[in-house]
Amino acid sequence: MSCYELSRLLFDLKIKESVYEQALTDFEAVMTNYELTAEEKTALREGDPRKLRQLGVHGMLCLYIKRLQPEFRDNIYWQQK
Amino acid sequence: MPLVSAVAASHAPNILLEPGNEWEDFMDLHYSMAPKGSSNRPTLEQQKKLRRDAEAAFAVLREDLQRSQPDVLIVVANDQFVNFFWNNIPTFFVTIGDEVAGKFTRHRFQYRNHKELGKAIIRAGMEKGIDFSYGERIELQHTQNVPLYFLLREPSIPILPIYVNTWVDPAPSPRRCSQVGELIREVAENSKERIAMLATGGLSHFPGSPRIGEIDEKFDHQLLDVLRAGKGKTLVEHSVQELLQAGDTEFLNWMVVIGAVGDAKASYTNYMPDFVATGWGFVSWRSL
Repeated sequence: MSCYELSRLLFDLKIKESVYEQALTDFEAVMTNYELTAEEKTALREGDPRKLRQLGVHGMLCLYIKRLQPEFRDNIYWQQK
Repeated sequence: MPLVSAVAASHAPNILLEPGNEWEDFMDLHYSMAPKGSSNRPTLEQQKKLRRDAEAAFAVLREDLQRSQPDVLIVVANDQFVNFFWNNIPTFFVTIGDEVAGKFTRHRFQYRNHKELGKAIIRAGMEKGIDFSYGERIELQHTQNVPLYFLLREPSIPILPIYVNTWVDPAPSPRRCSQVGELIREVAENSKERIAMLATGGLSHFPGSPRIGEIDEKFDHQLLDVLRAGKGKTLVEHSVQELLQAGDTEFLNWMVVIGAVGDAKASYTNYMPDFVATGWGFVSWRSL
């Protein structure tokens, strides 16, 4: 089963600052913009890249869920692509 | 005119991150996904030594490039979900915009893009059965910016970014990548300009994989041994799966340059595993 929409959300967290900024304040609202299954929403809320990978997301995109986590929000890694 | 020079180098982000706080940040994120490797976490002194060694390796490559006085530098690299997504993954992509730009932390990069050379390569490919994707708008990312910082910090000549799909399955075979390099060599030989090539990426690493943190040093050394012997074209016999097993799919970028340099022996190689995620590799072909 394709996880295109789930992957797209994570891609947008990487590329689109507007999506990232909104996700910081209202991640539930951001998720409504993508056609996600209940299982995918749960994995996103848990913020575990390994679970996203198990759902079929490319590992390079799974990483970007960590951009929302307080301990990694200011990480230097996000300042390069 | 024949190609005037060719080099290859890793593009791992931590090559350009500053030892100390920036490296620590990078490793905090990395080891949150690869906790088993954290016992090897490099000290500040080890970080500084790696940076010095990488700068020394890049200095050799830079001097070789400068000595060859190129008019343009073709940069063969891969995307990593910056310019391309699952709606369209090009196997080979040639940039035909006027300019290309990007950033890496506080560093900014902007170059003229040699679109005429790009179009010449695309047209030659269509004659020879290699149909490139192409487009005007791309953003330079770490896969180009890290080596360019050390090799062409001042945009004194135009570049030409060419992308190879090394990062998602299915990827092109090493043989096909070599054929693309042969085509570029033919275009260079028919050009009045002095054309140099840079391949980026590798060597062994497993980004986004459950094996993240592993480095297959043995495989990497075998690759470099082959390049020193001038037998790079024998590497077309490898399958993508073999490269994948060794964490070396970005070597597909190198295979394009290997196809272009033919049987030339690498005049310089250097290798340093970074203890974190990647075997950093550096090669120059001074005599083509």
